[in-house]
Amino acid sequence: MNPRDEILERLKRNASNVEMPGAWQSQRDFPDLAERFTASLTAVRGEVRRTETLETALIEVGTILDEISAQTVIANNEAPLAEARLDDRWPHRELYLVGKTPGDLREFCARADAGLSGVEAALAETGSLVVHSGVGKSRLATLLPPVHIALVPVSCLEPDIFTWTASRNKEMPMPSNLNLISGPSKSADIEFTLTLGVHGPKRLVVVLYD
Amino acid sequence: MTATFSEFRRRAKSAIEDLRLQGALDDGTGKLWEQRRLTFEELPNSDAMRDHFKLIRSATLRNLAEHLETFERNATAAGAKVHWARDGADACEIVLGIAQDHGVKLVTKSKSMVTEEIHLNEALADVGVQAIETDLGEYIVQLAKETPSHIIAPAIHKTRHQAAELLSRESGRSLSPDDLTTLTGEARKLLRERFLTAGMGVSGGNMLVAETGSVVLVTNEGNARMVTSVPPIHVAMVGIEKVVPTWDAAAIWLSLLARSASGQPLSIYTSVISGPARAEDPDGTGEVHIVLLDNGRSELAGTKYEEVLQCIRCGACLNVCPVYREAGGHSYDSPYPGPIGAVVTPLLLGRESHEALPHASSLCGACKDVCPVRIDLPRMLLELRADQVEEKTVPWSERKVEETGAFVLKHEKLMRFMTKAARLAQRPLARNGRLRLPRRLNPALERQLPALAKRSFREMWKSGELEEKR
Amino acid sequence: MTQSKRVALCVTCLVDQVVPEVGVATVQLLRRAGHDVDFPEAQTCCGQPFYNSGFRDQAIDLAKRTIEIFEPFDAVVLPSGSCATMIRVEYPHLLEEWHEWHHRATELAEKTYELSEFLVNRAEWSPEGEFEQVRLTYHDSCHMCRLLGVNDEPRQLLERAGGRITEMSESDRCCGFGGLFSVRMPEVSNAMTGEKLRQACDVGVETLVTSDPGCLTQMRGLAEGSSIKVEHIATVLEEITR
Repeated sequence: MNPRDEILERLKRNASNVEMPGAWQSQRDFPDLAERFTASLTAVRGEVRRTETLETALIEVGTILDEISAQTVIANNEAPLAEARLDDRWPHRELYLVGKTPGDLREFCARADAGLSGVEAALAETGSLVVHSGVGKSRLATLLPPVHIALVPVSCLEPDIFTWTASRNKEMPMPSNLNLISGPSKSADIEFTLTLGVHGPKRLVVVLYD
Repeated sequence: MTATFSEFRRRAKSAIEDLRLQGALDDGTGKLWEQRRLTFEELPNSDAMRDHFKLIRSATLRNLAEHLETFERNATAAGAKVHWARDGADACEIVLGIAQDHGVKLVTKSKSMVTEEIHLNEALADVGVQAIETDLGEYIVQLAKETPSHIIAPAIHKTRHQAAELLSRESGRSLSPDDLTTLTGEARKLLRERFLTAGMGVSGGNMLVAETGSVVLVTNEGNARMVTSVPPIHVAMVGIEKVVPTWDAAAIWLSLLARSASGQPLSIYTSVISGPARAEDPDGTGEVHIVLLDNGRSELAGTKYEEVLQCIRCGACLNVCPVYREAGGHSYDSPYPGPIGAVVTPLLLGRESHEALPHASSLCGACKDVCPVRIDLPRMLLELRADQVEEKTVPWSERKVEETGAFVLKHEKLMRFMTKAARLAQRPLARNGRLRLPRRLNPALERQLPALAKRSFREMWKSGELEEKR
Repeated sequence: MTQSKRVALCVTCLVDQVVPEVGVATVQLLRRAGHDVDFPEAQTCCGQPFYNSGFRDQAIDLAKRTIEIFEPFDAVVLPSGSCATMIRVEYPHLLEEWHEWHHRATELAEKTYELSEFLVNRAEWSPEGEFEQVRLTYHDSCHMCRLLGVNDEPRQLLERAGGRITEMSESDRCCGFGGLFSVRMPEVSNAMTGEKLRQACDVGVETLVTSDPGCLTQMRGLAEGSSIKVEHIATVLEEITR
């Protein structure tokens, strides 16, 4: 017998039918999702900047890029970045728009000063961003640069992981790569002392807008 | 890997005498435990949540084959290749085969317990493939040519001075132990280059979600994201018990895992891999292989030990275990130390070779209290001990002592006679209620054993002196 | 409801042979609480050491014997958290394959008490009067606090008797005894006891109190020469309320 059949056969011989309990219901009732999201993310050294509109959010992103003197910037070609005419906004920066700009994406990510992305959803309880792979969505853009800047509309905030999985569209296939990002990369492996930016970005800045 | 009584005791003794290690264990386990306590306090209905999770885990394991088949179907549909491995030899052969098919010379690894269990790194090295651990703690441990000593804090036993020395040697730069930012910055640089040149990434898997055929990996550093996104091939090796039927069930797993492990509401990165990169993806791995490892697990299904398969490897039981906190992880000589290791190591890696582990516990029960799945580890330690007696692997002398003792205790008169004789015999040695044994002859070493009292309670009672004065 | 006033004392091996003064104190306390005390002389060991070492057959024999001896009584009291746990929690489990014995084990379990929980919950006794204040700390023995869930009762009694309890950082951290564990793994066992005593010394009290004779003899074995006295709750309470 091949290993597969051998393992499955042994398991089936000892199996029995037990009812699977239903889904755990979210126990959270946050009065203000944005407030909780901000508190949770800042507790793990993530940064949140709150602005009014998409336009002011984009201006804020420009300010952040100035603050860190970002010369090379990679941006996922997804909402709301796709329609933001980034080239016109930052003509003095070297910009790589995923799927649009020619050239080696990986090589660019590896030397970019910052990566910009949108999100599919965000979870208030844990301060998490839900980021997918897909058309115009590079997984390296949010991983290799030292700073990850995410544009998050308040409307996409979910209370917690349970409301998020409950709202998942089961007809839609999972993206090949999905990440919940809940802060900047960190480690406490040396004497339990916190250090940031071990492999992923040292800074995670979320620009939250209405 | 073995843990006989003398080996466990010898290793534990040197751990106890190492004051620096004792400090590190106290500090590390204390912090992790305290952080866990705080996040559970903040979580509404956490006890009910753990009960619910236990039901999910036990129901899943009762029907494991069905969920594995669903997983296989959906993972294959997503483009991943699913492999099945009976044991370590099977699993190593599969991974070596993939590496050799693609001419891979360098592998980057994300922290994985099962690959430690089957010694994958050694198997790769034997055919000239270098495997680099990329979790910072694992990397330091690998540079030191040691093994991890804690499930989630593999380098809990190393100081920053040792880390600085190892990283200095590797980078050829002199790094200060007091500047952790530069230290980790150097590790980032060294490993970043490896990621970009590796031909293959190997990871474990915290969880398999059957309904979408996904492998889930959690890390704080982001190394699992690197391993599964940067090299052209990704191989995930996962124990067959790690499957969960739905995303609803996965959510509760994730919520409890990070809270129990490190007191975080969620780990920094939860990566969900559902097959290789699609045509429309701008980047990602070209091939995803999933190796489902049995290595003794399926033989536990339907036995009194099935419950141990519910473990999600959070490591919480280590942090509360008074034995682990003194003896440290290396005493167990297993990728799985602490209370969970004391149960699972003999079951998966050999009972006789790890005969001491079921006894490396005072049965205090702190592990069961803290376990997110409430696994009754003390009960299973007792079962393992009973199996040793039944299988006659207990030394003849001990068996005789126990049998004779029980015989005496079944006969009160005989017991009275024997204890009287013992009282006489201990006379030259007893003082102030303790036996003054030379240390060499004292099985308890510097702890003085209690002497028998001059008169037993039953003698006093019989004499009538305790009768109530009315 | 008329409550039985007649209780059987299951004194336990360690108390009988090593610290009989704990048994004497237990008898006095039960009497002060208004109960007549019986001591069935045929009693020996509850079987716990054999059970914990994996010698199930021996444990079963001793369990059956203990059930036969104590089942005629209305209540059974033990000055030991772990032996009380053996009868209350482990007997029904150990004998579950034999219907008749399982039933008898369950009946005995229902009327078996650790001393402090008997005094507080069943006898509803409390030390009365003015007592001198004593500074102490209390060690929760593992089985008593985790399997019997008894941790308030001993503290209640001690406080009513004038005890001023300063809690250790981990009052429920194992003292290192664990029966044969303390002989099989003496290095680890002693290190655990050392940690326990360190925590007790750190809170700066004179007395470390426990409800378990196993923990008592274990901690005393390393406490000699240190600043702390290790005492059983029965002797402490008996002396104060004498």
